[in-house]
Amino acid sequence: MTEPALPPQVSTWNSPEMAKRLQGRYAAERRFKAIGAGAVALSLSFLAFLLFIMLRDGLGGIDWAFLTGSDSTDADTAGIWGAFKGSLLTMGVTLALSFPLGVLAAVYLEQFAPRNRWVDWIEVSINNLAAVPSIIFGLLGLAVFIQVMGLPRSSALVGGMTLALMTMPVIVIAGRNAIKAVPPSIKDAALAVGASPVQAVFHHVLPLALPGILTGTIIGMARALGETAPLLIIGMRVFAAAPPEGVTDTATVLPMQIFLWSDEIDQAFVQNTSAAIIVLLAFLLAMNGLAIYLRNRFETRW
Amino acid sequence: MTETNRISARNVKVFYGEKQAINDVSIDIASEHVTAFIGPSGCGKSTFLRVLNRMNDTIPGCRVTGEIKLDGQDIYGPDMDVVQLRARVGMVFQKPNPFPKSIYENVAYGPRIHGLANGKTEMDAIVEKSLRRAGLWDEVKDRLTDAGTALSGGQQQRLCIARAIAVSPEVILMDEPCSALDPIATARIEELIDDLKGRYAIVIVTHSMQQAARVSQRTAFFHLGTMVEYGPTEQIFTNPREVRTKDYITGRYG
Repeated sequence: MTEPALPPQVSTWNSPEMAKRLQGRYAAERRFKAIGAGAVALSLSFLAFLLFIMLRDGLGGIDWAFLTGSDSTDADTAGIWGAFKGSLLTMGVTLALSFPLGVLAAVYLEQFAPRNRWVDWIEVSINNLAAVPSIIFGLLGLAVFIQVMGLPRSSALVGGMTLALMTMPVIVIAGRNAIKAVPPSIKDAALAVGASPVQAVFHHVLPLALPGILTGTIIGMARALGETAPLLIIGMRVFAAAPPEGVTDTATVLPMQIFLWSDEIDQAFVQNTSAAIIVLLAFLLAMNGLAIYLRNRFETRW
Repeated sequence: MTETNRISARNVKVFYGEKQAINDVSIDIASEHVTAFIGPSGCGKSTFLRVLNRMNDTIPGCRVTGEIKLDGQDIYGPDMDVVQLRARVGMVFQKPNPFPKSIYENVAYGPRIHGLANGKTEMDAIVEKSLRRAGLWDEVKDRLTDAGTALSGGQQQRLCIARAIAVSPEVILMDEPCSALDPIATARIEELIDDLKGRYAIVIVTHSMQQAARVSQRTAFFHLGTMVEYGPTEQIFTNPREVRTKDYITGRYG
């Protein structure tokens, strides 16, 4: 058997051909860095432009009356509190439903479910559910919660339930990844001192996975907070002159309020729209900040 | 001293799906001894160890046939409670795996879930006694609230031994407990095994034949899923009956 031929040995690493080759490689390196930095700058400039326009148009509209008032036909007296409270109530319903359901489903699928075709099928379905366009969840909410179950239209309750359908698969996926990241040796350790499987999971695995689960939950909630389409369908496009008192009252939410004001003919509402966007963005940033804080604060390093 | 058999296994076969990992192993493990399982990688010694406290139950597709009795009770029988079994047959793993909690909590967890302590004073006593037996008390007594994961590797492994001791097991299974440790930490664990052998039946899986020779009174040699030879450690190392055992301990393979 003949040996495959190796390339001829380089006579010297200092030859001009080698130097030229190296130069070419360095140039490719510089080109990539420039293109990468350009991509970052371009995307940031869009965000900066948006922020600049919003702040220029809206900052003047943010005052105490705006932050504490509700919707009004008069742009000067219209405020954001009604929609803000509607968002809080809706998010509360969403969290109360999707968090326990999502976490329990994630724990079951990751730690207890048998490995078979049915479970594989459920896993694929959950991943697909997370990708379903939100307007379809709105139609489902209208058909099931309002028409079949007879829950009050335009309420934070129905809005929250609809958004919970959307958020649950996100929490399941984040939860499963967080649970998977806990080393199996910890569960083994608990089992080996005689913990039952449920004890091993709830005493050891779940607490270690919780920061990851919370991060995923907050990101899912932030997405739900900005959601408008499904809420349009279940009738949260309403003029609510007073903040909702409870989850069954007629309510609207922040993005819906922005949508409603942006549709007004009265030019005075332009400032209100921008101001409402600033409030919504501040809310979203606060949630994402909380997610980052939780991740850094409770992350366990192995 | 008359020997009492803690564990007696008869015709044990273990399958992972279609693949057979253990073929027809019968062995008696005495309570007064340290029993070592030696053999080349993949010979089934760790698999057999994990069968003894049913840690293999967590592996999908794993099937065990034959009979394994702990104090005369079939551990795969319908009236054996696996949670109780694992409290009676403790386990120490290859890589130290303390819970990412305080040193105290690491030891107290087992007694707490089994309800072995009445109140804080009793629990404190169990924790102290377990850590003393594991030879770790003097090093950690002033920092019981520190994280168990902040200890050195050798200390972590002794913490894991203390955690196993805390539920008063009858048998302690050790799966290559020193393979992640330096020689000094290894020597401390070996001393500890020697101290513990009167109280607990100890079964240790090891890659190091020297370690088997140092700590055990009985040695079982495994090869390709079967137990080739089992006898007093001295006889296995000086006068093995089987050619395969002799070839392995003289370093011809493995």
